[in-house]
Amino acid sequence: MMIRIRLFEESLADLYRRGLLVGVVHLSVGQEATAVGVCSALRRGDQITSTHRGHHHMLARGLDPQRMFAEILGRAGGYCGGKGGSMHVSAPAEGAVGANGIVGGGIPHAVGLAFAAKQLGRDAVAVAFFGDGAANQGVLYESLNLAALWQAPVLFVCENNGYTEFTPTDAVTSGESIAARAASFGLPGCAVDGDDVAEVHEAARQAIEQARSGGGPSFLESRTHRWRGHHEGEESYARPYREPVESQDPIDRLERTLSDAGFEAKTLRELLEGEEKALVEHALTAAQAEPEPPIHRAFEDVFV
Amino acid sequence: MSSIAAASTASRLAPALADGIAVCMREDPRVFVWGEDVRIGVMGPTRGLADEFGPERVIDCPISEAAFVGAAIGAAVGGLRPVVDIMFSSFTYVAFDQLVNQAGRLRYMTGGQVTLPLVVVGSAGAAGANAAQHSELPSALFLQAGGLRVVFPSTPHQAFWLMRAAIRSDDPVVVLHHPALGSIRGTVEPEAVSLGDAVVTPIGTGVSLIASGLMAHRARAVAQALVGEGLSIEVVDVCSLNPMPWETILASVEKTGRAVVVDEGRLTCSVASEIAAGIGERAFQMLRAPVRRLAVPDVPIPFAPGLEAAVIPSEEEIAAATREIARA
Repeated sequence: MMIRIRLFEESLADLYRRGLLVGVVHLSVGQEATAVGVCSALRRGDQITSTHRGHHHMLARGLDPQRMFAEILGRAGGYCGGKGGSMHVSAPAEGAVGANGIVGGGIPHAVGLAFAAKQLGRDAVAVAFFGDGAANQGVLYESLNLAALWQAPVLFVCENNGYTEFTPTDAVTSGESIAARAASFGLPGCAVDGDDVAEVHEAARQAIEQARSGGGPSFLESRTHRWRGHHEGEESYARPYREPVESQDPIDRLERTLSDAGFEAKTLRELLEGEEKALVEHALTAAQAEPEPPIHRAFEDVFV
Repeated sequence: MSSIAAASTASRLAPALADGIAVCMREDPRVFVWGEDVRIGVMGPTRGLADEFGPERVIDCPISEAAFVGAAIGAAVGGLRPVVDIMFSSFTYVAFDQLVNQAGRLRYMTGGQVTLPLVVVGSAGAAGANAAQHSELPSALFLQAGGLRVVFPSTPHQAFWLMRAAIRSDDPVVVLHHPALGSIRGTVEPEAVSLGDAVVTPIGTGVSLIASGLMAHRARAVAQALVGEGLSIEVVDVCSLNPMPWETILASVEKTGRAVVVDEGRLTCSVASEIAAGIGERAFQMLRAPVRRLAVPDVPIPFAPGLEAAVIPSEEEIAAATREIARA
């Protein structure tokens, strides 16, 4: 799945370079381990809320790459019929209520989703993905408090990629760690190496299990690295970022871990890369061939 | 229908709102109430609900408007039908991202994949010396925001039926109630008032007086008083602002050819402006006089009672404008 996400995102970067994308895209290259580590611990019926940089969460949740591409390209067959775009992919029926263009905007939705699941006797949990930027939004702390009061089955996942848009996170974030802030609300919080998919998964699995069994909410800070800019096409004004270190690549790291454990990891990776490349290319070609939404769709869906 | 009406014996507006919530909670276990101090029901619309439905369904929240409105969005997507009491409707400004960018947008942005059956109820208008941050009528902001149904009942009858309609609606609905009308008297009749309705009373042929909330009461009082001067006034109580009851408004104006629109919101881009413009566009040929708007001048609501009264359209001002338009 990490390979699929990487190829999906790289193909979007390529489309952008070639002037074939409309709007703004925020890519998740380098952050695959957080999405995959967490979503692989979820079940059908669980829900996630995500962010403007959310393709990896959606793909990891199992969304169809063709319908993802179609949405990002503004085509009729996209998940939202071409009315959401890159920052707002949503597929509630598939367990992804939605990405959100407002930093922190989706966090309280996850609390409400979790509360509803609890009240309706469903055995479901909600995960709120958000970035380090949202760690400085008041609504996060309001939501942590509410989730703790309601003992809502929700996991807050702060994906700390080191940059708040264009600004280094540590320049605009006080205190020792974002994870430590959760303790003030009585939430168990921990920070994990967000480039190690196994470590992310194990922490998420425990937190989700706890939420599902009535143990209430918890908080996970996944410390990862963003390999590309805030958004594609920013070269004309963005300042250089800290150089990413090769050893931080979550896919490389997984390969090394498996290799060290005696698996034929390189061969396996090549095999998967071949399969996923074909899948992603086919999805993109099919999405590009889809029609644009009919004009009448612009005037629908305001109200039921 | 009559069995539902019998469920509300309320004779005042705020208890009628509470009855509107209660009938919905009885018939649908997915209806929950939360907000600030909803168990004691400090603002009226939730008073008594905790006694019947318990603290599990009537939930006191921290003063975190963005989070509890946002949680209502998530809960609505997740299958509940939350009713959020935000106390004063100007407290929605704290939660404007959630109300406008989220509740008002998500159905559209997801291509219709989500429905958001949630209600935000709050007082709106000046109750006397509460100053600008607790006295505004933000209805025009909600209309401009889009994606939100908005109702503003002025009688117990309208309050009961519109609250019930709001909770049963699959769209997000803002229910406004005027703090000066909480104990206004009236009975809940069996004929339902629905989203998109206006209530016309009394019937007249000379001038259409179009208003909502407290201004609808003042308009009715003026209509009564001007009978003695030989004026026949028809008051259109626009108790639903979205959907706007255009048919009723235009039918009245086509009959009278004259309209005064009274609004407790600020004049610029006000509900009165929208109604006046709509009349101008759709019924220009029927007009025998210019459409007059009466609203709060472009200042905040002041604290001192004399100043407050000076900026809100009074019965005297409404009567003067009505006379002028009647004779224009």
